Parts: sequence; C-alpha cells; structure tokens
Amino acid sequence: MLPSTCEDYLEAVLTVTENGGQPAAPEEIAAALGTGREIDETVVTSLVADGYLERAAGDTVRLTEKGSEIAAQVARKHRVLQCFLTETLGVDEDTASEEACRLEHGISDETIDRLSSYIDGAQSPSRHTRCCQVRERRCCNPDAACTLLDCKEGDTVLVAMIQRPGRNKRLLDLGIFPGETIQIRRKLPNLSVVVRVKGCDIAISPEIARSILVESCP
Amino acid sequence: MKFALIGNPSVGKSLIFNQLTGLGVEVSNYPGTTVELQHGNTCFQRDIIELVDLPGVYSLEGDSVEETLVRQFLERQEIDAVIVVMNVTRLERNLYLLLQVAEYGLPMVVVLNMIDEAAKQGLEIDPGPLHDLLGVEVIQTAAAQGKNIDQIIPAALVARNPSTVEIPYDHHIEAAIRSLGKVFDVDRNESVRALQGFGDTQELLEAAQTVSDEIESRHRMTVAQIIAANRHNFAREIADLTVKKTVTFRETDLDSILTRAIPGIPILIGILLGMLFFVFITGSFLEEIIVELFEIFALQPFIALGLPPLVEVLGTSLIIALQAGLGIAFPFVFLFYIIISILEDSGYMTRAAFLADNAMHRVGMHGGAVIPLTLAFGCNVPAIMSIRLLRSRRERIIASFLVTMVPCSARTVIIAGIVASFVGIAAAFSVYAIVFVLILATGLVLSRVTPGEQFGMIMEMVPLRRPDPKLVMKKAWMRLSEFLFIAMPLLLVGSVVLGLLEFFGVMGIFETLVEPYTMAFLGLPGYSATALIFGILRKEMAFETLAILAGTANLGAVLSSLQLYIFAVVSVLFVPCLATITVLLREVGSRITLAVTAYTVALGLLIGGLIHYLLS
Repeated sequence: MLPSTCEDYLEAVLTVTENGGQPAAPEEIAAALGTGREIDETVVTSLVADGYLERAAGDTVRLTEKGSEIAAQVARKHRVLQCFLTETLGVDEDTASEEACRLEHGISDETIDRLSSYIDGAQSPSRHTRCCQVRERRCCNPDAACTLLDCKEGDTVLVAMIQRPGRNKRLLDLGIFPGETIQIRRKLPNLSVVVRVKGCDIAISPEIARSILVESCP
Repeated sequence: MKFALIGNPSVGKSLIFNQLTGLGVEVSNYPGTTVELQHGNTCFQRDIIELVDLPGVYSLEGDSVEETLVRQFLERQEIDAVIVVMNVTRLERNLYLLLQVAEYGLPMVVVLNMIDEAAKQGLEIDPGPLHDLLGVEVIQTAAAQGKNIDQIIPAALVARNPSTVEIPYDHHIEAAIRSLGKVFDVDRNESVRALQGFGDTQELLEAAQTVSDEIESRHRMTVAQIIAANRHNFAREIADLTVKKTVTFRETDLDSILTRAIPGIPILIGILLGMLFFVFITGSFLEEIIVELFEIFALQPFIALGLPPLVEVLGTSLIIALQAGLGIAFPFVFLFYIIISILEDSGYMTRAAFLADNAMHRVGMHGGAVIPLTLAFGCNVPAIMSIRLLRSRRERIIASFLVTMVPCSARTVIIAGIVASFVGIAAAFSVYAIVFVLILATGLVLSRVTPGEQFGMIMEMVPLRRPDPKLVMKKAWMRLSEFLFIAMPLLLVGSVVLGLLEFFGVMGIFETLVEPYTMAFLGLPGYSATALIFGILRKEMAFETLAILAGTANLGAVLSSLQLYIFAVVSVLFVPCLATITVLLREVGSRITLAVTAYTVALGLLIGGLIHYLLS
C-alpha cells in the first residue's frame, strides 16, 4: 500500500492527464492537488523509480499502466465518498471533497463497493464495470444505473431497486421487488420485455422496465 | 349463509362459481374479466347459500378499481367465510394474495385448483404443511373436470375460524405494529393496514404515517415494499413446503414462436386479418341465407295477407327489423365471438398485447388496449366495457375514441351489404382502409393532446392452454345473448317508429327539408339522411332503412356506386349506436361521450363530403 501522499499525487496526475491526454507539468499537478503547496520532487522521483509514473518531455510526467490502476481506484473511492458525504449525509461540497481526500486512503475496496451499492441501490461495481463508471461519473444519478433494459434475453438478474414505487405497485404484487431474482424471457427490438418471476411470465412496457434497477446474480 | 370467492385472475374462480351456482359468468383467460361483483345462489341440504364472485386481483393493496372493490368488500366483513381459490401451478404468487386475505381475519377455506395441470407439469402437491400453517381446510380441485368442487360448500359451512397464520415481518415493522397496537389498541392486522395507509381512524393513520416515514428513511425502501417482500418470502417458504417438483417436464415453448418480433408480429397480423376476412366472407354468405329465408317465409306471406295499411306497415317493420337483427347476430356477432373466445381462452390475447405494446404506445395507450380494440370488431359495447383494464383516465379517453371508430359487426354488414354487393369487393376493403387510417391518425393526435399521465403495461402472460369448446361456445353465446336482449328490442322499437313516421308522412317533410343540404354536401338524396339518423339506434339499420326508404332492396338501381360508397363511409364513421353511447356515458362520463359523438359525426360528414368533392 502506498503512502497517502503518493496516492494523492497519482490521483492528481490522473486528473490532469484525463482532461487533455497530455503529460502533466509540475504546476498542473500542484493545482490539481489544490492545497497551495509546491510539489515535492522527491515524491515524484520515488514514484517514477517504483514504476508508477514515467518521465515525458521536459519535467512533465504521465502515469504508467500500474500507476493508472492505482490512480483510478483512488479516484473512484474519492467519488463514492464525496457522493456519500454530500448526497446521503448532506455535508457541504467543499468539506466533503476535503474529507473524501483523507478518507479515500484508509477505506477498503469492499467497503467502497458496498457503499457504492448502498448509495443508489445499483449493482456492485466489480461486476459491471461499465455501468458503474457511467453511474459514478454522474454521481448519485440513479438513472445511469443498470436497468432491466440493459439486460439481454436469458439473463438472470437480481432486482436492486424500483423507482417510483407508488406508480408501479403492481410490480410488487406480481413479485417483482428489491431482492427478488428474475429472468428475462423475452426482449423485443422495441424494448418491451417479458420477465419470469415466481414461475409466471410478466410482460412489461419499456418505460416501466427502465425504472427497475438490477444487478447480476451472485 | 354468505360466502365469497377470491383469487388471482385466471385461477378458475369464475368457473368454480359457475359450477356451484349454475349461472353464466363470463370466463376469460385474461386479467380483468370480472369487474363487478357477481352474486349467485346455491342450495346445500335445503339451505340457500349466497355466493359472491369477487373480481380477480393480485393484491388487496392496489388502487385499481377491482382491488379497491375487493378491499372494501372484505372490510365490511359481511360474509360468513371467504373461499380463496389458488392456481396450484403458480402457488407462490397466489399465496401472496392468500396471506393478505388471511389478515382480514375471516373464516377461510383454501381451494388448490388446477391439480390436473400440476400433475401434467410433474408437480407433487402436499397440502399438509399449508393446512398446518394456515390452520384452515385445504381442498384440492380440478375445476375444468369438476373434480372435488362439491367439497367446497360443505367445508365453507363448517369453517368457523380465521387463519392463524402470522407473517413474520421485518423487525422494524414488527416494532411499529407493537407500538401502534399499544397506543391505539388495535390488532396486528389493523396496524399492518394502517402502516400502508389503509383504515378509517385518522389518528392511527397519522401515527402510522410518521412511523412508516422513519422506517422508509432507514431502509431506503418503502414500507409497502418491505411488507410485500416479507410476504413474498414467506409465501416462498410455504410454497417450497407444499409443492415438490418430481419430474422436470418438457416445456412446451410455443412462446418462443409467438412472442418474438419475428415471426410473432406477422402471426399476430395474420390472425387478426384472417379473423376479419373469415367473418366477413362466411358472415356475408350466412347472412344472405337468413335474409332470403325471411323474405320467402315471413315477409312475402305477410304482405300476401292483405291487412289494413297501418297494420301492414307495423308488421313489415317488425319483420324487417327481425330479419336485419338476426342476419347480423348469428352470422357476424356469434361467429366473431366464437373466434375471440378461442383466442382469449387460449391465452393468446396477452401475447397479442405484449407484441402490440410498442404500437399502442404510439397512439397513447399500452399493449392491453389491443383487447378492447379487437373486441370492438364484434360489438363496441363489450369493448368499451373492457377499457377499464387501462389504468389512467388518459388512456381510457383515447381508447373510447378509437374503440367507437372500429367497424363493428353491424358496420361490417353495411360495408358487405352496400359496398361489397353493389360497388365491389375492392371498394369494400378500401372503406376498411379509410377507417383504419383515420383510427391511426386520431390515435396519433389524441396521444399528443390528451392530458394526463400514461402508465405502461404490467401484464401477466397467462399460460397457453387448449380452449374448452364447451366454455368457448358458452361465452360466445353469452355475448351474443347480450346483443340479442339489449340491442334487438331497440332495433324493433326503432323500426316500428320509423315505419309509423313514414306512414304518417313525417319523414317526407324532414327529407324535403334536409335534401338540399345532403345533395349539395354529400350528393345523397334526403332519405339517406333519415337512414343515417336511424343508424344511431342500430348501425345495421342504416342499411335496412335505406332499403325501405329507397323502396327497393336493389339499391344499385336507385343510387349510383359513388352515392352508395359515400353513404357507407359516412354511416360507418357516423355517431356510435345508442347502446355504445349508453356504455360510454357509464364508463367515461358525459363530456367525453359528447366529444366522441361530436367527433365521429364531424368526421363522418367531413370524409363523406371530401369523397363527394373529390370524386364527382
């Protein structure tokens, strides 16, 4: 495990390089770190030595594959924590960002996964990376989670959440509720679906299928 | 003694009710057949027993018409026992409703129906655990064969105790139940209902609301969802104890053909068009025979009697009305409803609804609207009654417009009798084409302008089964008898009134008044206006009236092809018949009824005028 400063540096480099794709200059990294301090050249040197960063033209640096992996993980933890702090606990955004910066280094991958699932009731990140990336980028917008419409015919999935439960009460009555396993029996090109739940086939319109958030089954 | 039958849709409840009471309740294989309460009596050991067939519901906690009706019925606690009918092949889902019913604390009998189906599917049923858990009598039946149906009433008569089952809820819910019980001195069941917002004590409901808000914020799930999940999970436990799958049967997977876009949609279109063609052609053929028989054996002998003029007018009007009515009833309405009943009972209609869901969305409704729209080809009256299965008022308004525009059997007679016989078969189909295009256009416009929100479709696809010929005929006959007993009297009265008006010369005055307008606008003689107006009473009368007023059945001799064509188009689109207007009033209210009527009149005249303007 890297010291927190190193993780911060990698995260900062990721932030800079993500935007333009160009290698990051020291001043840019400092700006991304946002603490007003000059960058510590010794940290950069040790990261280069350990193979997390590589030197590019001038005194700019970019992430190696190994470095990007770490940076992405940290960045993700940061987003999830910040999301949790602002949306769920109601902490104001600046404080949340600052605290997320500190917490991100001490939190385990599993806790982050669970926290992420908890926040918007969508699926656990390790399984459907694509959906989760989309979701976290939009931060707490459950519309971006995997819905029944993202599944293929024949998939068996777990219902994670149903949006607008008041309108969709009949789903509950027919046995489609959070925690229930359902199988997609048929999906037409126009997105009407048939799901099998409790041995019965239920036909569902696309707009309703869209409000059923799912995760893949264990 | 008074008992009620309750259960999910399509569990054979109405069939059991039929067998117990001998009444003709409609049985369909799609959700929502029974919307009103059906009452019936049966005798057991010289005691009269009143039976109530409640509409099929999935739950007691929804806000649909049927669910509210059933909930209120159970809340009144007026019955001596409730008979819960379950489809044993779908036990888990059916148990969910049973657990809710059990919470109403009424003496209960459980009927596990369709054990014959279960045996076919290799399911082994052990009613023991169910009996022990619920503490009530459990009967296994096969209603299709009438097996063990006779045990139901004796069991209900001795049922004294409500079910002892207690659903284990989430600990937060249990805590809420306990505290509500302590503070307000209400029992467990009442607390559970209060938590979901049902009950009549204001203070209890307010307190329950506060508690459920708190539970909701902790669980990030609504209380209704938590309770539903607990019940479903408990239902699964019971189902697992009761049903053992001994052999895995080969699944008959007709659905892999029927519910795919290809070939499902072509099959659907093929079935619908095939049905219309078949009824159109066979119906026209049979109708000719009936009309001919009437002509030879009733009308001609009657005229030959040489009665006084007034009596002769009355008699002829009656005979013509009977001739027209029966000419439609048997060849068209009956034939059509036989086919529809086969489609319904086989479970195909729910597949049709699924396939048509997207198309129906375009016109502002969901797939379920296929059912009223198809029924409308037979008669608009049952079709309007079935628009209840659409959940929002917006969808029902759109459906009421479109359904009334669908050419029903009576209009088929006009098209077949006037256009196909005197103008040509291609012209007849062009009338259909015009009507379908107008229906589509109306739907597209209405879906944009009608206020209100749209609910999508959540519909159970009932299992495909082989329709029982006896039930099919019974149902078709029942729908036909509605036509015979509701529509025929109107037809007879209308015909006599028309005959008398004609006899006293009132029609002549009216016709001279309107003739300049109809001639200028539609190119039709004045008496056609009378025929159109009498079309309001019964559509098919437009044709008969025209024949009477023209003084000959050979319309081709007095009117040109274009005139006949315009007349047919206008009368097909023109005002729904009186029976349809009556049902519309009941289902969607006077404003929408008025709007539908005005719209169809305007549309009929406009299109008629347009054809006249373009083609003459």
